[in-house]
Amino acid sequence: MDEFQLSEETAFVVDDITTIIQDTVETTIGSSAYQQNRINQWTSSVVETSLNQLSKLGKPFKYIVTCIILQKNGAGLHTASSCFWDNTMDRSCTVRWENKTTYCIVCVFGLAV
Amino acid sequence: MEEFSGEEGSFNSEEASNSVKECIQSIIGEESYRQDTVNQWTAKIVEQALTLLVKQTKSYKYIVSCAVMQKSGAGLHTANSCYWDTVTDGSCTVKWENRTMYCVVSVFAVALTP
Repeated sequence: MDEFQLSEETAFVVDDITTIIQDTVETTIGSSAYQQNRINQWTSSVVETSLNQLSKLGKPFKYIVTCIILQKNGAGLHTASSCFWDNTMDRSCTVRWENKTTYCIVCVFGLAV
Repeated sequence: MEEFSGEEGSFNSEEASNSVKECIQSIIGEESYRQDTVNQWTAKIVEQALTLLVKQTKSYKYIVSCAVMQKSGAGLHTANSCYWDTVTDGSCTVKWENRTMYCVVSVFAVALTP
């Protein structure tokens, strides 16, 4: 990924965002075991909390946050995304997290306004 | 997930949904889940869907994301949330399945400022 950025205040800083997402997922799911009846809340909580934290950064971006939570049982999962955007300003980052019973994949897309 | 209904100057999620469904059907319609080709399938789906969307309406930035999962009884849940202009921007999600796999494709369209 290229490091071309206008300035600290208007840039999509992948490391900061990765940290925010990891903390959010850790706080929401942590060491809880996969539970069918809670998973709904977890995905909603992860995307909403992440989005709140991102908007607090106050940068000139529109954000899209997607979250996939998958039970660990040997099933294969593959994800891909493609984007038609401004290559110089727009960015994405993906965070993969897991505990003993659950995988969680969060993608954040930042589009400059 | 918001149902964004078609109006002048807003994202036509129904049209996008139909395009994506055709796309998925043509790429993995008759296939069974295979570890060694799922890679190519997801890549093809997102690329073709993106190409179709850009052909339909050029005045948007698009993000297409696709997840293909093997049917084996595992639970899967996805969620999206967006911080954008709710008047001009929109999204749609297509859920598709056959005998051996699930496919979930999400399209996000963000209006290009003129």
